[in-house]
Parts: sequence; structure tokens; C-alpha cells
Amino acid sequence: MTGADILLEALEREGVDTIFGYPGGANLPIYQRLHAHPKLRHILVGHEQGAAHMADGYARASGRPGVVFATSGPGALNTITGLATAFMDSVPLVAVTGQVASGMVGRDAFQESDVIGCSQPVTKHNYLVTRVEDVAPVLKEAFYIASSGRPGPVLIDICKDAQQAECEPAWEERIQRPGYRPAFEPDLSQVERAAAALARAERPVILAGHGVLLSSAEQELIAVAEKAVVPTGTTLLGVGAFPVRHPLSLHMTGFMGTGWNLKAVQNADLLMCVGMRVDDRVTAKLNDWAPRAETFIHVDIDRSEMGKNVRPHLEVVADAGTALRAMLPHLVPPPASRGAWLTQIDRWREEHPLRYAKSNGHLQPQDVMIAMYERCADEAIVVADVGQNQIWAALWWNYLKPGLFINSGGAGTMGFALPAAIGAKFARPEKAVWCVAGEGGFVMTAQELSVAVKHQLDVKIVLLNNFCLGMVRQFQDDFYGGVRSEVDLRHLPDFVKLADAYGLAGIKVERAEQLPEAFDFAQRTPGPVLIDFRIDPSANVYPIVPLGAGLNDFWEQPDDYA
Amino acid sequence: MITPEVVDTRRLRVVTAIVQDHPGVLSRVSGMVRRRGFNIQGLTVGPTGVPGRSRMTLTVDAGHAEADQVEKQLDRLIEVIEIRDVTDSPKLLRELAIVKVSVTGEQREQTTREVQGFGGRLLAANEALVIYELSGEFESVESFLGLMRPLGIVDIARSGPVAMTSLAGLAGPEGE
Ligand SMILES: Cc1ncc(C[n+]2csc(CCOP(=O)(O)OP(=O)(O)O)c2C)c(N)n1
Repeated sequence: MTGADILLEALEREGVDTIFGYPGGANLPIYQRLHAHPKLRHILVGHEQGAAHMADGYARASGRPGVVFATSGPGALNTITGLATAFMDSVPLVAVTGQVASGMVGRDAFQESDVIGCSQPVTKHNYLVTRVEDVAPVLKEAFYIASSGRPGPVLIDICKDAQQAECEPAWEERIQRPGYRPAFEPDLSQVERAAAALARAERPVILAGHGVLLSSAEQELIAVAEKAVVPTGTTLLGVGAFPVRHPLSLHMTGFMGTGWNLKAVQNADLLMCVGMRVDDRVTAKLNDWAPRAETFIHVDIDRSEMGKNVRPHLEVVADAGTALRAMLPHLVPPPASRGAWLTQIDRWREEHPLRYAKSNGHLQPQDVMIAMYERCADEAIVVADVGQNQIWAALWWNYLKPGLFINSGGAGTMGFALPAAIGAKFARPEKAVWCVAGEGGFVMTAQELSVAVKHQLDVKIVLLNNFCLGMVRQFQDDFYGGVRSEVDLRHLPDFVKLADAYGLAGIKVERAEQLPEAFDFAQRTPGPVLIDFRIDPSANVYPIVPLGAGLNDFWEQPDDYA
Repeated sequence: MITPEVVDTRRLRVVTAIVQDHPGVLSRVSGMVRRRGFNIQGLTVGPTGVPGRSRMTLTVDAGHAEADQVEKQLDRLIEVIEIRDVTDSPKLLRELAIVKVSVTGEQREQTTREVQGFGGRLLAANEALVIYELSGEFESVESFLGLMRPLGIVDIARSGPVAMTSLAGLAGPEGE
């Protein structure tokens, strides 16, 4: 068998059904053999960054590693932003890039670039394959590493001669990696102490991150929160890990989190963070984060997260589900004083509700989200881009089930939503998939519309068009004295015409009264649909914590405006 | 947050690692150090008794990161098989220094005796120049170099430290 056939068969053996990719000189031997592997569906993308985001959306929606093909040099380099996006959010991907022939490596051959060097900081691991004998074992190991432990992208750079050479593949089942320990059994003494601390605490809070979703531990989280009676919130990436309308829900934390969440975090005497990194978007000013907390329990599968940003009193290094399951039998009902804490949180929820401008005559983005939620309830997958649209999609939708909200939380990659939504739809064709994006991010990867059209994917695009780089405009208005610099997007194309040019249906919506009709149209029309919502250009995201400030200092929607 | 007290916060960490000696492993290790804002002060690599495995000793400034991050971040690398932060452990640290100095006649004999007093030795000599070597702990290498400096150092090569935990506290026949 040739290296190309071994590679493709190895993908089949891993259960891969979909590949997002783009051909070129250095991966042609692989493309020339695709037809001989009909179980593999190849999706030709518009740009390799799109392929990486599609594979990412595919992986987040299905739980299985997404697969990317790209050629050497520019092809491989175009995937880097997508790999970094997946790396920051711990998403399993396997990227297979062509490389120039092994004898040419290092000679600045045509379309040669040091893809191993370039991708090293943004992958969990990577491989340069120069010999055909290594193709099968490397593929096996790459899938294992990508999807085990804390998941992440893995890149395999295969020299063209290794794709062409022949050998009898050894389908080794065992993986020999003495330095790779993906799973840890939780330290039971720490688990027991954590359970005891939860029971003792007067004002405990649990925060849940992407790790809970990656480990499918939502039921365990609910069980722990209910048994120990602990108010529970999520990070932006953890949205959906705890039902938003659960009586104990604190909704989203962080510098654009809800007021009652931030109040609870800042007043908690115990904080337990599960499956999250405790990054600067969660803590805002680190020294002011959770100032009254006497106990910080950190549960994460990655040992290096312990004390990276905040030093825990108790650390449980384990998969979120394993850790929470271990904790459950040790939990006891809380002291009576817990009632006062819950009452206090209810008061904060009433004092600091999510609010938005309703009466200035413009179409409000929150109204769009609410109308959309009424339509698809708790079933549709929402893939958001980056910016204001992302936070509106996170806050103004009631995620009652896990896995329904996908966004680039760690890297904040504009242009993520459309390709990731396409990938999610390929992974879960039975699910409605809604792509929410600002017009700035949307045009960064808009070429992928042709993929949605070619495959007649039911991806509904909700463009929250405010004719500006909204989030940056808000920062300039709120934190930079109102000096606006390079945020005007009035020069962008007419999106209804753009949709028409790509061959999909597009409509424009300017008033709230048009919302039902617009959503009727989207749901009635098979295949992709784009709705250009002309929203209030001055709509802002609130609450927001001013740059450099602590969580206590969050700003709310100004009164005169509500 | 009322954070727990951290006992060992020394910035300069001494870390020993057993790694798979794959191509590129050194760049993975040094890349991780750079990315996390650490700074390498010394790095030595050599083979171990096991084929395919090398031993590294790193002396790393943790920069603005928490001190224990050096060992924890390097442990994430798939090719790192075993890693220990030995900053606080009883250990033997040795460094080799080779120095070329211009010293002649009477002074040369005197210097050679002093170097031998340090446990160093003369490796080569011609009319104008002498090459001495010394292996020892950081401090004795430093005082050896202090002796050499006034003579006029022409060239210095230092290996950077290698480390091994000492026998103290070890169980079994080895430790007794
Ligand atoms: C690739 C990339 N470039 C720049 C940024 C910085 N950035 C963050 S939000 C934002 C504005 C996004 O504007 P738009 O896509 O119109 O969305 P809106 O905020 O208006 O919803 C920018 C420029 C980014 N996150 N990603």
C-alpha cells in the first residue's frame, strides 16, 4: 500500500466520516486516492482556515475529532489560526498537512515552510513523517492524543515521498508513550476534603467551564450542586454545562457575566471551579477576584492549571465527571444558614437583571435572540462569532441543555462562526444550526457560504449587522473616551446581494415587527438562509467590567437608555 | 482571594527530565520555556543508560510565572517521560569549566598548584597559553574563574550544570 492509502485507511479505521480540506502539490498523492475510500466524505472548503474551523465545529458538536487536510506552505499555514482556536478551547482535531519530499526539507523548496515549528505552540503535539512505515502508527497515536486527557489539536506533516512510497502497514493497536498520562484518578482525600468544605461553607459558589462539557459531566454537576445546595454558574465556554433556568443557576461569570453571578463570586466564602482555566476573562483584575473566598477548590484534568493563575487550597486533578462522581457520596446537606445565601442571591438577581434598550425605535439584538429562542427552544445548536454578537448569543438564550452553544471563547477568533456552524451541521444533520455573527467577523470567512450552498446545508445565518466593529466601538466609547478609530463598517457589501451571488436566500430585517415573519421564512426555506438584521448601531453589551477593574465594578445598562 | 501560602517560591528552578530523544525535542522544551515567559540559564542534554532516552538538566528562571509552573508546563510535553523539580531536594550539582589563560613562567607554576588545590587540572600548555579544567559546584567554578580572571582569560567554555538527587533519604542498599 502507498502511504496515501495507509493514511486514508487509518482514518477509516478511526471511524472518520468527514474530512475538511483543500488540495495542493504536496498532498496530491493523498487526494488522488480519495476516490478509493468511499467511506470518507471530503468537503472542499474555500480557505484552509475555514477547514480548520469546520473540523472544530464538527468536533464540538459530535465529540469526535475533526479532520483537516491541507497542502504544504501556505495551505498548512492557513490552518494555524484554526489550530490555535481549537488549542485554546481544548478541542480535538487531527490536521494532516502535506510537506515537500523528505530530501528537500530544509532547502527552501517550492511551498516549503517549517510547519512543525509554526504549529508547535498551537498544537497538543505534532509529527513530521518522513517514512511510509510511520504513517499508520503516527495516525493511531495522533487520534489517541487528540481525544484523550485534555483534548487538543494534533498536526501530522507528511512528506510527499512518504505518501508515495509503499509498505505493508502494521496496524499496531498499542500505543507506547511512556511520557503521556492522560487520565488521573482523583486523590480521594482531596475529594473528601472538598466535599466537607462545600458542606461547611456559608456562601459557596461553583463555576463550571468547558471541561464539564468535554467530559459530558452535566448530570454530575447538577447532582453535586443540588445535593450540596450550591449556586452554580458557568464560563462563556461552559455555557450549557448548567441549565440556565435551574433555581441554583448563576448564569455566566466573567467580565461580561451577569450581575448576580459577579456579586455571588465576589462575596463567596468558597469557590469551586470545575474544568476551567480561571483565565483573565473570568477573574478580571486578579487581585480583586473573589476577595472573600477562604477556600478555593480547583478541579481540572490538567495538572498545570493548578496554581497557574490562582493557587488552590484543594486541588483535584481529574476528569470533571470522574471527580464529581467521586465527590457525590461524600456530600451532605448544608447547614440552615445556606438559605440566607440563596435568598441573598435571589435579591441580587432581582436588583441586577439583564436589561436592554427597548424604546429607541431601533431593532435590538436582544429582541432578535429572544425571538430566535422562542422558535428553536432548547434544541438548536447556536454557533456564535466573536464580539458583541457572541455575548448576546450567550446571555439572551436559555441554554437548558449541554452542547448547544459553540463559540471561540479562548482565542476569540473572528470568522469562526460560519465555518464552525457548517462543521456542526455536518456532524449533527438532524439538529437545527443557527450561526450568529457580526458583519465584521462574518466577512472574514464568508467565502465558506459556497460550502453551505453546495451541500444545501440547513444553516441559518443571523447577521447582527450594526455597521461597525461593535465590540471595539463599545470599548472605544466606554473605556477610551469615545474616540472612535477604524470601527466604521459602512463600506461592507449589501449582504442580501452577497447571499444572492452565492446562491442562497437572503432577507433584510429592520424592525422588531418583522421578526416572526423573518424567522418563519428562515425555517420554511430549505438550505442555507441569511438574515441581515439591521440592529441598533449603538446597542452595547452589559454588564461589562471596565478594562483593568475588578468584577465588583461591573457596569450595567444605563438607566436612561432602558 | 485568601490564597494559601506557597513555601517554595524561588525563581531559579533546577529541573531534571528524562525525554525521548526524538528530533525536535530540544526545540519543544526550549519553545515551551520561551512561550511561558521563563528564561533558560543552563541546559544540558546527554544520553542515559536506556537507548532512545536522554537526560536533561535545566536551570530555568520562572520569570513572572508561579515557580512550580516550570516543571508542570514541561511535563505537558508528550516526549517528557519523567520530570522533577529538584530545586529544593538534596542533590549534586556539577558544572564543567574549561579556561584558556595566558600565564607563563613562575606564575604559571604557582597558578597550576592553586588550580590543583581546587581539584582542577592542567589540560594543555604552550609557551604563551595554558588550558585548565575544573568540574565542581557552581560556587567552586565561580571561585576558580575568579582566580583565572586577573591572569587574562582568552576563552572560557562552561557546560552548564547537571544535577542528580543525592543519596540522602533514599531507601535500600544504595542509600545506606
Ligand atoms: C481575527 C480577529 N481580529 C480582531 C479581533 C478583535 N475584535 C474583537 S471583537 C471585534 C469586533 C467585531 O465586530 P463584528 O464582527 O461586527 O461583531 P460585533 O461586535 O459588532 O457583534 C474585533 C475587531 C478578533 N477578535 N479577531
